[in-house]
Parts: sequence; C-alpha cells; structure tokens
Amino acid sequence: MPIKAIPKISKGQNGLGAFILQCRKLDFHYCDWAGSSVGMNGFIKSVLPKFAAQSPQVEITVSPRPKRHPHIIGHYVNGKQKAICVKNMEPLEILKKAEILRNASGEKNKRVLKAVTSRNPSVRGIWSPYHGKPLVV
Amino acid sequence: MHRLGFALPRNSMSRPLLRSIPELRILIYSSQSTAKAAAGTWTKRCITTTSTSSFTGTSAQIEPTNAPPPSSSASVGTQPDPFPTEAARIAAASVQIPQSKRLPPRLPTPAPVPLKPLSESVRELLPALRAQHSHYVTVHIHGFPYLVTMGDQLRLPARIPGVVPGDVLRLNRVSILGSRDYTLKGSPFIDERFYECRATVIGIEAEPMRVEVKKKQRCRRKTTVRNKMRFTVLRISELKIRTVEDIEADAAAAAKSS
Repeated sequence: MPIKAIPKISKGQNGLGAFILQCRKLDFHYCDWAGSSVGMNGFIKSVLPKFAAQSPQVEITVSPRPKRHPHIIGHYVNGKQKAICVKNMEPLEILKKAEILRNASGEKNKRVLKAVTSRNPSVRGIWSPYHGKPLVV
Repeated sequence: MHRLGFALPRNSMSRPLLRSIPELRILIYSSQSTAKAAAGTWTKRCITTTSTSSFTGTSAQIEPTNAPPPSSSASVGTQPDPFPTEAARIAAASVQIPQSKRLPPRLPTPAPVPLKPLSESVRELLPALRAQHSHYVTVHIHGFPYLVTMGDQLRLPARIPGVVPGDVLRLNRVSILGSRDYTLKGSPFIDERFYECRATVIGIEAEPMRVEVKKKQRCRRKTTVRNKMRFTVLRISELKIRTVEDIEADAAAAAKSS
C-alpha cells in the first residue's frame, strides 16, 4: 500500500509569525443636513486624515448617507462587521470610537474568564499514578 | 492651504469663539499637535520602555524624558494629543500610577544588574532543559502570573494604555521556566539574560456591556450602572532559552562596559 501523508490543517495564530490587523476596512457615513452629523463632518475634515495615515493597513471610505445619523462601520477579516452610531459626538469622541473599531477583531464581544488560550499540549504531561514520586503511606 | 477651504484669521479670533464652532475646535487641538513630530506608523514596531512594569528589560531606544509630556504644552485644558508620537506614547505608558498610590518607587533598569554566579545545578541542567522539545514560562505582568507557552493567546485583565495592535512587548518578569523534566525557578524572578520572551499585541477586545440595576425594596428609585471593560490581547510570539555560554558572555560584556 502506498504511504500517505497525514493531512494537517494549518492553524492560524495571528501575531506568532506575522501580524495582520483584523480590521480591514472602515466606512465613515456622514450627512450634510443632519445636526447630529456636525461632529462627524468636523472629524472627517480635520481628524480623519491623520487617523488614516496612522492606520495604513485599513481601507477607509467616506460616503454621505443623507437624512441619517452618522455611523462608522468596521469590516473585519473574518467577514463580520461592527457598526457604531456616532450621533451628536465631538470629533475626538468619534476618534475614540474609530480606534475601538480598528483595534477590535470581528468576533462578537464575549466574557472570557480564563486569561490564557492555548492549542499546545501540556508541557509536563498528564499525571499518571505509575510515574513520578510515589505517595508514601 | 487651509482645511476649511478659506483663510481664517485664527489669531484675531477669540478662544470662546473658536470653541463655539465645533469644526473649528479642531484647530485648537491641532495647533498643539503640529508643534510635535508628525504621527508615526504603528505596524509591527518594537517598543522598549524603561518603566517599572513588566514589559522590557533592555534599555530604552527612545529617551522618555526627551518627549514633552502632553499636558505641559497644552494651552486648552487637559486635552492630550490624539495622535501621539511613539516617544510620547512610551513616555505616557511608563508613568501611569499616581505617586500617592505607588509603592516605594523602583528605578527602571537601564543599568544591567550584575549576574549572580551560576550554581552547579544550573550549569549542569540548563542545557538539558534547553534540549527538551517544549517549554513553558510563568510571566508576571503587573504582578499577575500567567503560565504560557509559545503561540498562546493571553487576554490581560485590563486595557494597557499606550499600546496599539502590532506592538511587540518584551516580557522581563519570569519566575518559572520549565519543560517536561526540568524546572528553573527564580527567586522571585529569573535573571533576564536567561531567556527572551516577546509578546505581540494582537488587539484590544471588549466584553458585553454589564448592566447593574440598583433598587431597594419599597423605594421606586432605580440607578443603572453600565460598564464595558476593555482588554489587551497578546500573542506570545517568542520564547527562547539561552545557553550558559551566552548568559555569561552577556554578563561579562555588561560588566566590562559599566
């Protein structure tokens, strides 16, 4: 019988070799008429160019969405999206929201109780009663 | 060239007037930031600080004292520069706890600590420890121990200020370095020359919003407290144990230069 290789699926570990920012695109929607979009308009004119220069990995689009509140929509590598409505916010507050979206991954927010997530088998091995120092009764 | 498309007599406009127009408020903030260096990129840099936190053991490449603290040059209240340079980020990150809450300050360690003479057991067994195929390490970050191996994802219990995804942190507080059959224990920490342990910041995650409603019996008043914590997530990207020869050569070179 021919020898077959054992199929092994590669497991992504972002940051182990190369690091890829999980946020690939940010859409900024504004409105020229709505009062809630005044901060967003100011953000786009003055703060966004610097933010975009600091985040070269992220595709940034700016488009009007008339008669609606301003939004920032983040698109992530895993195909998911996160949207934040930035109505009635100041430009620097909107910058904070943009940074939150940029730094996040596409995963849904969940409570994680254990700090360490590992795929590696245990280094010291599973305990066995037949090995190691015996219990003296 | 002006952002708003028309010339603005900024000097002649009063500050209350500038502040009253939201778009123009940006001009106040940006006038401070243009005085500093331009915003830098933040993909995959290595930051080293001389802070007392657990992130680096090497001396700083950028002197923290040279970067002006944001608050000293701000002319409008206490607004920090939204686009700090790398030097400013490092300076800000290295001074976080107010003096009153601090323990007796430990100086950062730019000067190398002299290496204690290696014991017989270390000389004999460190090569065996190195030769084993997998290793674990107990790193201490802000005093909290985490047992990690290479490639593990570590979600810290809080957001670390001053770091962005892509930064590489060098961890320099390790208390246990082990493999299957051998364990190296520090008292309380192992000398930094024994290992190289680096972690990449891969993101800043959040938890679902916590809502606590506080209400007493027979009283209709309710208070709602909303809280959403943010956490820095690291990936242990490097864990290397060095040889006895390298450790001693390092210590000798440091002793010679000092």
